Amino acid sequence: MSTAKPGETPLLAGDRGTVGTAVPARSRGTGLDEVRGTSEGASPPSPPAQDCSIVTRGLTKRFRGGQVAVDDLHLAVPRGSVFGFLGPNGSGKTTTIRMLLGLVTPTSGGCEVLGEELPGGLGAALPRVGAVVEGPAFYPYLSGAANLRRFDAADPAADRRTAPDRIGAALDRVGLSAAAGKRYRAYSLGMRQRLAIAAALLRPRDLLILDEPTNGLDPQGTREVRALVREIAADGTTVFVSSHLLAEVEQMCTHIAVMRTGRLVAQGPLAELRGGAAPRIRIETPDAARAAAVLGRLGLAAVRAGEGEASAEPGEVPTERICAELVGDGVAVRGLAVQRPSLEDVFVRLTGEGFDVDG
Amino acid sequence: MPTYTRRGRIVRWGVPIAAVAVVAGAVTAGPVIAAVQGDPVLPERSAGQLLAEAVRAGQSGDVPPMSGTVVETASLGIPGLPEVTGDTGSPAALLAGSHEARVWYGDAGRVRVALPGRMSETNLIVNGDQAWLWESAGNRATRIKLPEGHAGARPTPLPSVVTPQEAATRMLAGAEEHSAVSVTNTERVANRPSYQLVLTPKDDRSLVSEIKLALDGETFVPLRFQVYAKGSLEPAFEVGYTSVTFSPPAPENFTFTPPAGAKVEEQTLGADAKRVPGGLTEEGRGEVRTVGSGWTTVVVLPAPDADTLRRQASQAQAPSSAPSSDPSPGQGEAGQAGQGEAGAGQLVAAVLDSAERVQGEWGSGRLLRTKLVTALLTDDGRLLAGAVRPEVLYEAAGRK
Amino acid sequence: MSTVEARAGAEIVTGGPGGPAGPGAARAAVPRDAGRRVRGNTWRLLGSEVGLTFRRPRNLVMLAVLALVPAVIGVVLRTVSAGGAEGDAGAIIGAVAGNGMLLAFVSLFVLVPLLLPVAVAVVAGDAIAGEASLGTLRYLLAAPAGRTRLLAVKYVNAVVFGLAATAVVAASALVTGFALFPIGPVTLLSGSTIPVAEGMLRVLIAVAYVGAGMAALSALALAVSTLTEAPIGAIAGTVVFVILTQVLSTIPQLAVIEPYLLTSYLPRFDGALRDPVATEEMTRGLLAFAAHIAVCGSFAWARFHSRDVTS
Repeated sequence: MSTAKPGETPLLAGDRGTVGTAVPARSRGTGLDEVRGTSEGASPPSPPAQDCSIVTRGLTKRFRGGQVAVDDLHLAVPRGSVFGFLGPNGSGKTTTIRMLLGLVTPTSGGCEVLGEELPGGLGAALPRVGAVVEGPAFYPYLSGAANLRRFDAADPAADRRTAPDRIGAALDRVGLSAAAGKRYRAYSLGMRQRLAIAAALLRPRDLLILDEPTNGLDPQGTREVRALVREIAADGTTVFVSSHLLAEVEQMCTHIAVMRTGRLVAQGPLAELRGGAAPRIRIETPDAARAAAVLGRLGLAAVRAGEGEASAEPGEVPTERICAELVGDGVAVRGLAVQRPSLEDVFVRLTGEGFDVDG
Repeated sequence: MPTYTRRGRIVRWGVPIAAVAVVAGAVTAGPVIAAVQGDPVLPERSAGQLLAEAVRAGQSGDVPPMSGTVVETASLGIPGLPEVTGDTGSPAALLAGSHEARVWYGDAGRVRVALPGRMSETNLIVNGDQAWLWESAGNRATRIKLPEGHAGARPTPLPSVVTPQEAATRMLAGAEEHSAVSVTNTERVANRPSYQLVLTPKDDRSLVSEIKLALDGETFVPLRFQVYAKGSLEPAFEVGYTSVTFSPPAPENFTFTPPAGAKVEEQTLGADAKRVPGGLTEEGRGEVRTVGSGWTTVVVLPAPDADTLRRQASQAQAPSSAPSSDPSPGQGEAGQAGQGEAGAGQLVAAVLDSAERVQGEWGSGRLLRTKLVTALLTDDGRLLAGAVRPEVLYEAAGRK
Repeated sequence: MSTVEARAGAEIVTGGPGGPAGPGAARAAVPRDAGRRVRGNTWRLLGSEVGLTFRRPRNLVMLAVLALVPAVIGVVLRTVSAGGAEGDAGAIIGAVAGNGMLLAFVSLFVLVPLLLPVAVAVVAGDAIAGEASLGTLRYLLAAPAGRTRLLAVKYVNAVVFGLAATAVVAASALVTGFALFPIGPVTLLSGSTIPVAEGMLRVLIAVAYVGAGMAALSALALAVSTLTEAPIGAIAGTVVFVILTQVLSTIPQLAVIEPYLLTSYLPRFDGALRDPVATEEMTRGLLAFAAHIAVCGSFAWARFHSRDVTS
């Protein structure tokens, strides 16, 4: 599937990939929004490493037994972005994250985190990375605060003198201050999830990797996490969120990548991906044929005439001009709408099937 | 550091492999170090000179002050031998397995031999004309009076302790007459450059293929004694120092005061004979005779028949009829410590069970074959034993 | 510590809030005390590990049981007249009635074959497998604890626990012995008698030796622990090894392998009760322990570094 050359990340992988215009992503931090490997013109050389918080090149993991969890993954996560890593359960998201954290050794390919080539730079990169991997995991017989102390002690770069303050602040940030002294065993699922996020926020991070952070949370908790992610991102931290929930990613992220059975289906700025699926203008009219003719005359692409409606891709043609032309030609316009495709439509178009993530 | 490359993985696993190699090297460090150091080369000595030196060093009791660890290993291949491990006092223990003792030789015939057990220790301390046997397992101290005229002579301390010195002394008595003797001067025993005497029996009816005796290059103290049976590459019996120091041991080693609360017993060495199982019956001891000479010497003893022996064995009182493992001719070791009689009984029963019935012109009986020793218990009540092929025993049995 | 961890310490310190400090910027501001911080924080991790071990109820129960055994032996010896003791060690058990200090050796003799190794196996076998089964291993490594650093800390922790467990046995035995039996000059296995102070020294020698043996066993348990995600498997594997090797060493036909078995060296602490102290024998034991630590430790290291953490 991946026809991209190594070192080059296709904006949209797949034969039906279309080219979108680069839409500026939220500009923050270094302000570099260019997604590498857009297929406009010659493929640009790999951008300097410091422009991306995560870069993977042909990352592949084949587990013993031959199962390929991640297959030739070329990922580029721009610095300062909120990067949604989408895919159904079992599509290789968690394995990718484990490889980024040095927990799993890739079968082939390489990756770079915060400018450090793994695995050599693991020790240098990881203290600047906060991570929640595959749900919370803590010592049940320790309190929340004691658990955080434990993980802070494991970080060789953490300053023991500031530990109490940092732990207090992290607990406060996720709203667990009141339960700090309670044993983890007694925590609810939501509290556990928040404690895991607190552990990731023990120190100011340059990159936050959150694997399914809203798993098991009620709608209120989900909203809180979403707000927290925005807040963290506003500090300039790159946030890499994996999720199987399309809607969640759509609400939080500036960039997305889509995995399917271990392969990257698409990646790029959210707006750009949406733009990739051209909006359509739809006209409700009894004179569908005439309307279609007018649209064709205006030079619109993909003109279709149906029962009581006609549609086309307006492209650069302003909607008001189309409307005026139609009316001028005496087409009875009963309704007119420009439809922007939802992310789901994008995926249906990209993959040929629905993004049935909960299945 | 870990890398993704296959080489990184190989390098990583190289560490434990190297560790295994280092440990394996250290385990066999003796040979390795010896190989690195090269074979020691001592001044040439003729076999005769060495034998004379060795006899002098061994017989006079004039061992230079020294201490060391002696390991005795026997694999005599006695069929049906019940294993009595850990019970160092039992004669059966001598016949199989490996045993360790610490020995200290002071000046003027002072000797200490310690047999460590698990949370126990048996000690023999000889100081002048008195000796103490301390058995921590029984919390028992035995004061042994040496018979008149034996002062200074070393008694055989315990059945299972044969120091290289003693083995050498026994072997060397008349060795040259019946053996081909050769000498090497490049041995290393207990990390000491040593001479080695190799004695090969001239008579091919002997079960002994050769006997090796290593003598310290400086002091001529026997350091190792090995007996090889025919058709076997490993020694059937070996006793030697694994470490040795030629410096006077601390004098405390040779003083012994029975600790408070210990049982103290008195014994004179002569009286010991009553408890000796090796003599079958008291009256029988006088009739021990030998047939033949040199390596094919056969010891003939009157003995009860097998059934009586078995009965006696079952009473755990049975005397051990097992011929001593000692291959040297004319040897009648009689120093039993009184311990392990039950072990001897079991031994007899098990050994008899495995004996093979034989008959011939000489009569009929049971034959017991081991790697090194053959024994024949005739139905007319005689026990013949020797480090010989069965034919020699049959022949001796025929000569009534 | 490895160079990477040293670098880690060097590069992170400037990652303050507000604005992503580029790696270049971070690298430019390498504080001079970074190396010291990593080292200091390794002590902190060890402190955390030891604290966790000695606060864990399960481990405390094990230590309490270990402390209870000498007390029970002491009480039994005090109430029942020691007469029926059998075997080589019988006399020494009986001798406790005459001198309480010997209870320390008798307790070690009773506990060294099984109970003490079990306690050590529980802690050392749990080291990696336990974290893996809780899932905390991935967070420790992502912290990043560093695999070599984490393994070393885990091992040192197990060694500390093994030594503590041995010391607890000896201390409990001495307290019981002093309380229930007369104290006086100690009769050694060799039949000679030494004063009380030297007797205490001999107890210390025995504790140190057994502690070293437990350190070797910890290395083995740690190696097993890196192979599995089920702590109970690692613990059971180590305990089975301990039992099996002791059974094997009683089979005479297998006497050849005895010098290569870890467990045949464990009871050699009785060398401290000989006169003179059986240094040669005990040194051989210590060398065997060192060999086990080197082989098992390096195996654990190689395995842990190659392992994919998927729990």
